[in-house]
Amino acid sequence: MTGKWEETAPAFTVFPERKSWTLPNGSQSSSTITQQSHPSNMADSLQTVMDYAVAVARKAGEVVQTALAGDRKVMTKSSAVDLVTQTDQKVEKLIIQSVKEKFPTHRFIGEESVAAGEACELTNEPTWIIDPIDGTTNFVHSFPFVAVSIGFSVNKQVEVGVVYSCLEDKMFTARRGRGAFCNGEPLQVSEQTDVHQSIIATEFGSNRDPEVVDKIFCSMKNVLKLPVHGVRSAGTAAINMCLVASGCVEAYYEIGMHVWDIAAGSLIVSEAGGLVLDVDGGQVDLMSRRVLAANNRSIAEKIVKEIVLFRPPRDDALDHKQ
Amino acid sequence: MRGRFTVNLQVRRAHHQLLFCINMSDPWQECMEFCKELTKQAGKMICEALQKDIAVMQKSSPVDLVTETDQKVEQLIISSIKEKYPTHSFIGEESVAAGAPSVLTDNPTWIIDPVDGTTNFVHRFPFVSVSVGFTVHKEIEFGIVYSCMEDKMYTARRGKGAFCNGVPIKVSGLEDISQSLVLTEVGFKQDAEHFTAMMDNIRTILTIPVHGIRCPGSAAVNMCLVASGVADAYYHMGIHCWDMAGGAAIVTEAGGVIVDISGGPFDLMSRRLIVASSRTIAERISKALTQFPVGRDDKDD
Repeated sequence: MTGKWEETAPAFTVFPERKSWTLPNGSQSSSTITQQSHPSNMADSLQTVMDYAVAVARKAGEVVQTALAGDRKVMTKSSAVDLVTQTDQKVEKLIIQSVKEKFPTHRFIGEESVAAGEACELTNEPTWIIDPIDGTTNFVHSFPFVAVSIGFSVNKQVEVGVVYSCLEDKMFTARRGRGAFCNGEPLQVSEQTDVHQSIIATEFGSNRDPEVVDKIFCSMKNVLKLPVHGVRSAGTAAINMCLVASGCVEAYYEIGMHVWDIAAGSLIVSEAGGLVLDVDGGQVDLMSRRVLAANNRSIAEKIVKEIVLFRPPRDDALDHKQ
Repeated sequence: MRGRFTVNLQVRRAHHQLLFCINMSDPWQECMEFCKELTKQAGKMICEALQKDIAVMQKSSPVDLVTETDQKVEQLIISSIKEKYPTHSFIGEESVAAGAPSVLTDNPTWIIDPVDGTTNFVHRFPFVSVSVGFTVHKEIEFGIVYSCMEDKMYTARRGKGAFCNGVPIKVSGLEDISQSLVLTEVGFKQDAEHFTAMMDNIRTILTIPVHGIRCPGSAAVNMCLVASGVADAYYHMGIHCWDMAGGAAIVTEAGGVIVDISGGPFDLMSRRLIVASSRTIAERISKALTQFPVGRDDKDD
């Protein structure tokens, strides 16, 4: 394989620019395309990463499906409703080991590794950001939305995103500048600009601190009163983002999820023509545990106004607490 | 010649007697088989409509949506049933919206929601179903819910178990509410007090605590999710008999319970329900809820 990571010069120039490009179905879309001054073998390398991420996600999905047929022993992490199972841990080990074999110098941020005390720090190094089971509560109950989420970043920018919704057998993928797809079919966000005709996805989350619950409920009431067509809770951030990318919902917002829940999904949304912002309307910070993914700025701005803001402890804080 | 005619007649009589016996042992089985085929056709109609643009109209408010597909599917179902069973009665969502009565009598009655989850349908959010419940003497004899985007056909005949695509389904049997996944729906309400009560109810349940609350968007599908053991409870105030009739038999035949919000007996026309994996969970949820008036399907508001 050409373009081994160890051989590629680590510093390369990035020129972001907005371009319009043609989807395979002939329609136009626009996305920020990163023009890189690196050699073409970097593009090969990214494709190799993508293909590998898809293969690993599918394998992980098989482990999840098998586990669903048996008993799931449930443990808790930061609270009685922050669940984890042996399958979460098994799947994360499987992914990390497989990736290490092929890309021995790459770094990892994995949900269960971080829970076990590993650092959660995004550097310029090629980094795999992994949620082995997004929607663990759903998994425990066999509720239909359970995903393996794998984001790959270089220079702190997500270059590849894969979300495998294993119970639906839907493989969502995106590469920066190359569009977003579900089982090979191109994805496009909804064209709706009227927030009163929108469906908004959000979650109640696993934080039961009354002050936090107050704020979450206040935001939801505000959104409902706009009014909107509806509010939906599917139970997984990664799939919520894919629902935005697919055009099934116009926006998804949440405060309290983690970088591993949204890294892959954020690229899938932007490559499907949507925006990913902070809940205050500013630039998204993947470590901030806040996100608003929307089909367009018109809807995003209306939703931003209704969200009651707060700041959970960051994912890259030294002391990882809920 | 005469002999052969006599033999043929005897054979025909025996055949009729046999059919009579089969029908006497389960007179509504044939209706149910007919209904399954019909809901499949209706589901196909819905999936075809999903490939095209969907023009949306409003009924009682900006969040109470209806489309041509709702109306077309209901027409298909009712006209097909009328042809085969001309003496039967109907309560269909779109017919009632057009002024038909919605009073439940002892007559065999088909209670129909042609597209449960119209908002989901408009947005292509994955939970959209056709729901049919069949009552005789005001008792539900069978229920069919076809979740067409998932291609899941849920069926139940009173006393004969519940199935999804022919495979038996059962509730989770969970008794401990702190381990439960609860379904409900959030929606804007014109009345500020009712809206506050609805949100406070969700908050009360969430902070019991339960494992989680999900809002999938279709009452009939929600009932089937409880029947399949995938969720442990679903409660709702403000839906209609056509949302509940299909799922009610499916939940009870899967071993679950269906009760009124107050914890008392389920009332199909009351516009409210709790379904759960166990009586313990149903009662715990009932205790947590503040009721607010939602009217009745058999009375004018």
